[in-house]
Amino acid sequence: MSCKLVRRHLGAYVDGELDPATQIEFERHLEACSGCQEHLAFERSFRQQTRDSIGGLEAPEHLWRRTLHRLDEIDDAKKQTSLIEIRPMRWRQTGLIAAAAAALLIVGGVVGLPDRTDYQGAGMLQDVVDLHSKALPSDVEAEAPQEVVRYFQGKTPFPVKPAQFEEPSVKFVGARYIKVGTHPAAALYYNHGGRRVTLLVFQSPELVQSAHRTQVAGRELYYHDVGGNVVTIRQHGGVNYAFFGDLDRPVLFQLAANARVAY
Amino acid sequence: MPRKPNKIVVERRLFESEARPHLDALYSAAVRLTRSQVDAEDLVQDTLVRAYRFYDRFEAGTNFKAWLLRIQMNTFVNRYRRATRERQVFEGPMAVPVGEGVMSRATMRALTDPVGDAQRRLIAQEITRAFDELSEEARAMVLLADVEELSYKEIAEVMGCPIGTVMSRLHRARKQLQASLQQHARQLGIIDADDDDTEDPVSLEAFRSRKAVKS
Repeated sequence: MSCKLVRRHLGAYVDGELDPATQIEFERHLEACSGCQEHLAFERSFRQQTRDSIGGLEAPEHLWRRTLHRLDEIDDAKKQTSLIEIRPMRWRQTGLIAAAAAALLIVGGVVGLPDRTDYQGAGMLQDVVDLHSKALPSDVEAEAPQEVVRYFQGKTPFPVKPAQFEEPSVKFVGARYIKVGTHPAAALYYNHGGRRVTLLVFQSPELVQSAHRTQVAGRELYYHDVGGNVVTIRQHGGVNYAFFGDLDRPVLFQLAANARVAY
Repeated sequence: MPRKPNKIVVERRLFESEARPHLDALYSAAVRLTRSQVDAEDLVQDTLVRAYRFYDRFEAGTNFKAWLLRIQMNTFVNRYRRATRERQVFEGPMAVPVGEGVMSRATMRALTDPVGDAQRRLIAQEITRAFDELSEEARAMVLLADVEELSYKEIAEVMGCPIGTVMSRLHRARKQLQASLQQHARQLGIIDADDDDTEDPVSLEAFRSRKAVKS
């Protein structure tokens, strides 16, 4: 073993990161080589001096207290009971967002622009459909619901939980952060018997203003007829829940009506 | 879904008792990364908030400090990096050259055994200065390996790179630190300027011209 090799990897040796066989070879070389011993002594000493020079700062007193306040806020948010889990990111201002959510359900494939005077709403519906058609990949795979909740924390101004469906054939696939127009949104992907179902969650209460109304399974649904397809909105308040997929209209209506979007 | 208050309290206590002992280490590293005490405080706070949110993802039995440092490094990269761009000159071609024999034997001896407290303080100051001039990545390497004493595997996880990369980056970072230190130490007369006892010296010019030929 050459001095050059030993010196080149002296750092790893001191770090205890060499494999045992090499370690032994190094030790053997070092025992016999005073030049390398000097390098070793320096390496160790310099390590210590580096640690002493740049480490060991003490955090100011108030930093831990400050942090605990923030943790209190998170705890408060966890304790809060909310029917539909709609909370703004400033966790203590829960009252700011009214308790209502809208579910949007689109049935069929390509949907034209809806015939609406409110362009923003129409554009938004188009966005919703496009986002489904594009089938963008998930950022967070089907994990425990808490994983998804965390993923969206700080991304959407409202907490997001994957909706639960009554039908066991509907499987949660994954989710990603997305934008509907300028609105931050959660896209939740499901699979129903091999067909994709997308659920978009975003804030836009005005989206149901000109919608039709119906009752399915005792649940109030809103919907837009859009070029032969249908957009259904289940409204609970400031946050929209939007489902769409290539399923028959009654099936999707049923899915949307029975989904637990708020729990 | 609302959680049981008891569970929240228990989790919170556990987190506090696990995290508190590492506060100084996090702060220390944060100051060295951000070069600002104010930014460092914000960084540490954000780190701990994130860690608390993701607490159930922490794998029991693994190194909690390494886990916190990983979160801190990610938070730093995402949020604070822009503010420290001006130092990037040190990551470019102006970076301190690296060579095997960057440290002469006499320098080595002088630094291995500093004589007297004044000498020690001076060297400590110079190490800090040399460290501050390193690139972000090199600073992170030295911090994680030499100050926090994480294993290469843990460093690889913190930095999100393979272990082989950790080895080469760390080696490079340490050599840069030593080279920069040696230059200044000579200028300040901490070590002997008439230092011919070099084993295989690599001069700045030689290094640059070699580099120029390569590129």
